[in-house]
Amino acid sequence: MQTKILLDEEQIPKKWYNIQADLPSPLDPPLHPATHKPIGPDDLSAIFPMELIRQEVTTDRHVDIPEEVRDVLRLWRPSPLYRAHRLEKFLKTPAKIYYKWEGVSPAGSHKTNTSIPQAYYNMKAGIERISTETGAGQWGSALAFATMLYDLECTIYMVRSSYTQKPYRKSMMHVWGAECIPSPSTKTNSGRAVLEKDPETPGALGIAISEAVEDAATHANTNYALGSVLNHVCLHQTVIGLECREQLAMVDDYPDVVIGCVGGGSNFAGISFPFAGDKLTGKHKDIDIIGAEPASCPSLTKGLYTYDFGDVAGLTPLMKMFTLGHDFVPPAMHAGGLRYHGDSPIVSRLVHDGVMRAVAYHQSEVFEAAQTFARTEGIIVAPETSHAVKAAIDEALACKKTGEDKTILFNCSGHGNFDMTAYDAFYSGELVDYEYPDELIKQAIGRIPKIS
Amino acid sequence: MRRIGFLVNPVAGMGGSVGLKGTDGNVDEARRRGALPRAQDRAAIAIRRLTAVPDLFFVTCSGEMGGSVLRACGETRYWVAYQYPGTSTAEDTKKAVSAFLQEGVDLILFCGGDGTARDVFEAAQQTVPILGIPAGVKMYSAVFALDPAAAAVLISEPYGLQDAEVMDVDEEEYRHGVLNTHLFGIARIPARAHMTQVAKQVFEEADENRAKEEIARFLNEVMLPGVLYIIGAGTTTEAISRQLGIKKTLLGVDAVRDGCLVASDTDEKTLLDLVSRYPETKIIISPIGAQGFILGRGNQQISASVVRNVGLHNLIVAATPHKLRETPFLYVDSGEPALDHEFGESIQVISGYRIAQRKKISRSL
Repeated sequence: MQTKILLDEEQIPKKWYNIQADLPSPLDPPLHPATHKPIGPDDLSAIFPMELIRQEVTTDRHVDIPEEVRDVLRLWRPSPLYRAHRLEKFLKTPAKIYYKWEGVSPAGSHKTNTSIPQAYYNMKAGIERISTETGAGQWGSALAFATMLYDLECTIYMVRSSYTQKPYRKSMMHVWGAECIPSPSTKTNSGRAVLEKDPETPGALGIAISEAVEDAATHANTNYALGSVLNHVCLHQTVIGLECREQLAMVDDYPDVVIGCVGGGSNFAGISFPFAGDKLTGKHKDIDIIGAEPASCPSLTKGLYTYDFGDVAGLTPLMKMFTLGHDFVPPAMHAGGLRYHGDSPIVSRLVHDGVMRAVAYHQSEVFEAAQTFARTEGIIVAPETSHAVKAAIDEALACKKTGEDKTILFNCSGHGNFDMTAYDAFYSGELVDYEYPDELIKQAIGRIPKIS
Repeated sequence: MRRIGFLVNPVAGMGGSVGLKGTDGNVDEARRRGALPRAQDRAAIAIRRLTAVPDLFFVTCSGEMGGSVLRACGETRYWVAYQYPGTSTAEDTKKAVSAFLQEGVDLILFCGGDGTARDVFEAAQQTVPILGIPAGVKMYSAVFALDPAAAAVLISEPYGLQDAEVMDVDEEEYRHGVLNTHLFGIARIPARAHMTQVAKQVFEEADENRAKEEIARFLNEVMLPGVLYIIGAGTTTEAISRQLGIKKTLLGVDAVRDGCLVASDTDEKTLLDLVSRYPETKIIISPIGAQGFILGRGNQQISASVVRNVGLHNLIVAATPHKLRETPFLYVDSGEPALDHEFGESIQVISGYRIAQRKKISRSL
């Protein structure tokens, strides 16, 4: 009974898969925040290196992964694919459950898959410092690790609620030589504006993004890096799904259901885009692709599909995506990495077109699922990842009812070793089941301030 | 030195053990049925813990109404500001509280039940915070600590202040099986510092007010033109009206439409009449009382028939995160079990700007 399905180091993908090549029509272009006209490469060059701008817009089906990047990926890739025998047995499901374990990276999550190439291209472009934001700290620590490898300085604006909640993430960033600042901070105009309005704000990813973008735009030697949402980030994450497809082929299998948790959408994109490509090109028309999001910040299930800013201050280009409004500050729940008002434009488009679908869960039910997973498979997952675990368990239980022996694949995106306060809150019954009052908002939609 | 006004209602709770559902005007009957005073024992649990707290000084009443409890606990830091005549009535409680206020107390700690709370509040209003050591038969008011020991812990540590509903229960009707409560007033009580789950933040009064403002900002944003809104009692709903620029009755149920007050301090009949006249109506209420009742306590004008006519889907419940933390379950007691049942297992409660919580509903206390 094989449990781990492993690839050889040489089987690390040599090319990323770009789903833009297989979309039936091009993505709606990002718009300039001031002119509302489509943006060009020059508009982005103040904060991104040209190669990443090229990757953002290319419609080539494959993009080469530089050998120097593959060399670093060897530290943890190819990551193992597990067959969850013990979970299946516990659930008494006829379904087969597989999970891709991305927690084996040095920073403990999938985020290093993109932090390495992003730091690499910035180094190549002669950039000396990178600014970024981080929610739960997964992305911040991943970028701190990557910038250290390429001798770049790194400034990280960390959402305040997570900064106090997860001090050890901050410590990791320090170990790898990065500077970590709680956001909103007094270092930027955007941060000061928020603090002035609301000194007690728990912060939000959207606010931290404004700060990091402003930092990059106002310093010539500094570029900005984003850990999710953007097309090139999703592109870099496709190594996850590409490896999965190979690994499943080794055991002569192919998924009926593919699942990932969704905040900005990159880990979900990473595991699902290669399979969504198979669906779009007609190779596997019936595959069910599910994004699991928090009920407190349910952009895919309850948001509007429209143009909106990527940040609170309105500094980023307007992107066509599912959004709850860029001024929405999600409640301070534990899956800090999923506290984002919008979603990846590609994921949004695929959900809008019905290629993928989304489900939303409350906090306590995902922690219950995470507990089941820890007590069967052993891994204590991050609160973000627990949303994917919950969706996988739900699908497996549905199979139990119908008797179907579906193959379920989910992305186990990161470990929860720094999230023990969240687990403690679960056990002491202190978890609050936040949700988004969408009915009231829908009834009054015309009266809510326009998004763009 | 903090000055604590301390009083005990010596007969509080006596009716309970002998099936009298309240002791108001019934002390002799309770005694005849063999009831023993228990308020002094309850108070003593709290006082024994407070004797170890420095910087306290008690201002109290003589004998069973306070002094003898302090003395029995070995507490010597007190002085008597009110002479207990030997038979305690509501008037004694009110007179004692007035005497405490003249002595400049910082807080009034009382031991009793809902009736005592009502009398203490009537005399003190919001001039000083009050806190109840629970010893009564009924405990619908939110001014009581969880138990006597908790009362001591609360005032021995630094505290903020929060609103707490004082409920008035008609004892005569209650004895006949009819629970008729209304909101008597909003007192200020010490607020327990909470370690929130997000960070080691301590609950402060500012947070509570900020949350009310956020709820009000959101509800004002989603209130629709042409719709009649029936707005329940309490400080959360008052904040909503304030944002609309409407002066609402704090303790009553009002109706507004298009930013204008349509009816103030309404009764059930007026509400039913309004609902029949306005095709589109919604209800905005906040849970009331110690247990967090959505319907059935303090908002009883919003009866089962009113809710039925408006439609359950048009009921909007709002409460601050602090209030929701204090009440793990919410309760519904509309007087019509079938309607209570329709609420289901849980309900959405608006708790911030575009933020809600899903709360479990329980039907029995």
